[in-house]
Amino acid sequence: MTLTKPAWRTPLIILIAGCVILTLSMGVRHTAGLFLQPMTLDHGWSRETFSFAIALQNLVWGLASPFAGALADRHGAGRTVVGAAVLYVLGLVLMSQAASPLTFDLTAGVLIGLGLSGTTFAVIMGVIGRHTTPEKRSLALGIASAGGSFGQFAVLPIGQALITAYGWQSALVLLACGVGLIAPLAYAMADGHKPAASGGQSIAEALREAGGQKSFHYLFWGYFVCGFQTAFIMLHLPSFLVDGGLTANVGMTAVALIGLFNIFGSFLFGWAGGCGSKKNLLVLIYAARAVAILIFMLLPLSTATAWGFAAVMGILWLGTVPLTNGLVAQIFGLRYMSMLTGIVFLGHQLGSFLGAWLGGRIFDQTGSYELAWIIAIVLSVLAALCSWPINEKPLLRPATA
Amino acid sequence: MKPQWRWFLAGVGLALAGVLLALIFMAYQMPELLLDWTNLSYCG
Repeated sequence: MTLTKPAWRTPLIILIAGCVILTLSMGVRHTAGLFLQPMTLDHGWSRETFSFAIALQNLVWGLASPFAGALADRHGAGRTVVGAAVLYVLGLVLMSQAASPLTFDLTAGVLIGLGLSGTTFAVIMGVIGRHTTPEKRSLALGIASAGGSFGQFAVLPIGQALITAYGWQSALVLLACGVGLIAPLAYAMADGHKPAASGGQSIAEALREAGGQKSFHYLFWGYFVCGFQTAFIMLHLPSFLVDGGLTANVGMTAVALIGLFNIFGSFLFGWAGGCGSKKNLLVLIYAARAVAILIFMLLPLSTATAWGFAAVMGILWLGTVPLTNGLVAQIFGLRYMSMLTGIVFLGHQLGSFLGAWLGGRIFDQTGSYELAWIIAIVLSVLAALCSWPINEKPLLRPATA
Repeated sequence: MKPQWRWFLAGVGLALAGVLLALIFMAYQMPELLLDWTNLSYCG
């Protein structure tokens, strides 16, 4: 692997640019739910029409992530990020003009999903991972993850304010302007990574190698559970609290608390991953989620328990990101890190799709979320058990001449 | 840079970050707050 870069493109500059890119891309994506009510009211669409496009966006994001990662590994992250940012901007602008469910699916679902795949974790973490020493890599990935968490926390009220002040169509265009800032920042991501020129392992060989490792499968399914829980809780927790007799304000504050504590959690677990065993920390996160959900279910619902649960879940929210990405780099090396983390992220997005959809389905069928919470606990225990046997040691490959 | 200055600047940075996070947290109940603070409350 060869890295050629100008002197100004220091690891710190790359880390800062990566954080800002993740803040913008993750933050704007997080505002999607705010557009549900105004868009469905204006167009006379059902909530299912809107939800389907957002679910499609999650799937396209996950399915495209391995390809975006492979593009970044093969042709450079800078170009991949710019191309994805253009698709993201186009998706937002055209979404504001979408007049039919089909055009809405193509813009909010497909274009934004493709844009997200090239401007989020798989590609950005790959560049940051390549430019940090093994000792500092987990911390750097934790800081980048905290950047994405900060975006989710900060852009949500900005999106709400823009919709209130200028209407949903102008708000989408203004958010597109924000996403447009990713394109110049991508210059810092152009790290001159040229795996093809250095010989050694091909993409097909890397895929075969990863597919043959149990640890890779454990990481995939652990991330699946992470996606299931975060999508279910973020989408359905506010309704669950209102159904339990609490006010909508309590639900909004719970969402804000998850976002706030998520920033600290991402950083904390990134830092801890650099000091100790990453897979043990993953076991801790998934086990702690099971315990937190169980206690939340057993205690009588009140504002205090809702906010306490939100704070604890916030700490555990995206702590899995630096640990999972760090483990991929640690076990399989940096050469195809973006592609391999993209594949693992597909598991996360499949879980997200199922968590968001199944939560609603269970509620419609049974009139409560109880079964969905039980599934979340069981999955959490399985994810903890799944993470335990992960072999953290780097793979030994025969030396090439 | 002297260590004392480094600690001082780190403290100032942390305090500013704390104020920013508190402001955003408040904006969940008052979204217009952020528009006013970022001068986005008027676009012609």
